[in-house]
Amino acid sequence: MTRDTSDSEGAEPTETDREDQPSDAASATTGVILRGEDVTKEYQTGTQTVRALKGIDFGIAPSDFVAIVGPSGSGKSTLLNLLGLLDVPTDGAVSLRGQDVSTFSDADRTRNRKRAIGFVFQSFYLIPTLTALENVEMPRMLDKTPVKTRERAKTLLQRVGLGDRLDHYPDELSGGQKQRVAIARSLINDPALLLADEPTGNLDRDTGDEILALFDELRAEEDVAIVTVTHDAYVAEEADRVVNLVDGVIEDTGETAADGGHGA
Amino acid sequence: MSWLRRVTARFPTVVLARRNLSRATARTTLAVVAIVIGVVAIGTIGAGGEAFKQDQMEAYEGFGGTATVSPVYHMNDDGDIVGGISDQDVSRMRQVTSGATVHPVIQRWDTVVRTSSGETSPSAQVKGLASLGTFYEAQSGSIPDSWRQQVVVGSRFADNNDVETGDQLTVTINGSFERTFRVAAVLEPQGFADQLQADRSVFLPFDRLSQLEDSDSEYGSVIVRVDPQTGSISEAAESLETEFNTRRRTISVSEVQEQRERFSQTFELINQFLIGVGSISLLVAAVTIANTMLMTAIEREREIGVMRAVGYPKRAVVSLLLAEATILGLVGAATGVPLALGIGMVLNQFLVGDPLAFTAAGLRYVGLGALFGVLTSLFAGVYPAWKSANKRPVEALE
Repeated sequence: MTRDTSDSEGAEPTETDREDQPSDAASATTGVILRGEDVTKEYQTGTQTVRALKGIDFGIAPSDFVAIVGPSGSGKSTLLNLLGLLDVPTDGAVSLRGQDVSTFSDADRTRNRKRAIGFVFQSFYLIPTLTALENVEMPRMLDKTPVKTRERAKTLLQRVGLGDRLDHYPDELSGGQKQRVAIARSLINDPALLLADEPTGNLDRDTGDEILALFDELRAEEDVAIVTVTHDAYVAEEADRVVNLVDGVIEDTGETAADGGHGA
Repeated sequence: MSWLRRVTARFPTVVLARRNLSRATARTTLAVVAIVIGVVAIGTIGAGGEAFKQDQMEAYEGFGGTATVSPVYHMNDDGDIVGGISDQDVSRMRQVTSGATVHPVIQRWDTVVRTSSGETSPSAQVKGLASLGTFYEAQSGSIPDSWRQQVVVGSRFADNNDVETGDQLTVTINGSFERTFRVAAVLEPQGFADQLQADRSVFLPFDRLSQLEDSDSEYGSVIVRVDPQTGSISEAAESLETEFNTRRRTISVSEVQEQRERFSQTFELINQFLIGVGSISLLVAAVTIANTMLMTAIEREREIGVMRAVGYPKRAVVSLLLAEATILGLVGAATGVPLALGIGMVLNQFLVGDPLAFTAAGLRYVGLGALFGVLTSLFAGVYPAWKSANKRPVEALE
């Protein structure tokens, strides 16, 4: 399976888009997918203002594997939400392939999220009334291309080793199988970036290892960048870079792999 | 890919909505039941009311182109009640309404009617009216054209006293006149709108009553009929008013057509009021649906958050939840309509004697009930859908 199979469909321009967009050469160095500069996020809780992120920089390039670690309340989820265009920073700028996210309307963010970003959650969040295959199709169900979507979903499920579980409902699947369905779902739109929030949190070690192996394959074969928030040390060990977030700032950059100096 | 999937894939929102409803079966069923009750209430009240109205309107059937004239009584200086319609008055009526047929009605209050088993019926009204057959139809037996030894009875009288065609009835008037008659016919039920209260009447041969010795030639009322092809009942009524009521009001003339319209309007009003009351059940259903949808939306907050995260626009979430609410309404209406029609058929059989005697208006109420059922559901889904779609995915996923 290569990305080309789905690009021929044309309904969701992904690869072509990626080539068109880095027009702003200054900010789009070497095909950086997502870049953050001096990103600050504040929340209003009652009368208090909580600064969840206190001015951090990051950049994510294709096939990166970044692990975000840190104690709870350190701003990990906030950062992941900003990366996923689920939220906008209070200050600083997040740009998706050179485009400032703050200029997007809600609908723009939704569209770009669909096009560029896949989500994997700790609790899988599969829809219980849909089969494995339908869950994978779900993000594209409204696209009026049912035949191609189905083929792509089948390919993806086979890809994650669930070719024989297409018509199983979530409650007929094990935790590891559910997470693999969720990963297949996150890939249905050929995202450039996969955001995984504690993807192994509800899985045993062996199953967690399988998921990590799958991540490795996806990065190698599809150039998907993976950013994960994790508590599991072994997940962080597998990552190219570890971002240690403490109290809204990046404490120190763990194994700063040899990837030409983008910040975090 | 099967044809079914090809079709359903074109309406993914509907597929998702239907699947979502199937997961909370009990709650979904209860919401549907609420709608069914509303649809049935409106449909049945509407259709049943129309059937009842139709039943009552039948009383006017024999009275096309007629007016009823009743006496107006006055108290004179001596404190006596004066007034009434005499033979002379009837002759004058015939003169001023040339072309109309004038049928005086004799009504006696000093009568006792006894059945062959010896029971007396104090509520029976004894009346005399020539050419009874032009006004009423018989449900059993036949109304004789000219008669001396027979009586014709109303349906209520027949039911109450167990009287059938061929039975004997003894009528005593004023203690002096006493005769036994054979029942020639029982009339069709007429309902309360009938001019002569025929249902509870015993019709004696007109000549018998008019020839009674104590008869003071006074009539209870007069029916004036004009053939609509050749004349107008309004003109006849006007002539009567001019003739009799110029100096003092001595008669009251009422055109049956006008009565009919008044009755119809009154009835419409009552029916609409009842339907209004029935609609309250749909209001309750709306609350139930809104509640159901809110619970659904809260339960599925995360799921909807995921949908938003993977690129479903707000509009899609709104459509999904509205589709779910509308499906509830559609299922409720689809169940309610046959039920309303079934109950309507029972009412029709009971009131009109034909289960399929639906009027266009009656069916319209059933349709209206169904339409309101669906719209109510859709409307009740708006707020939950809006609320759900505007929840930020971040909050939903936390």
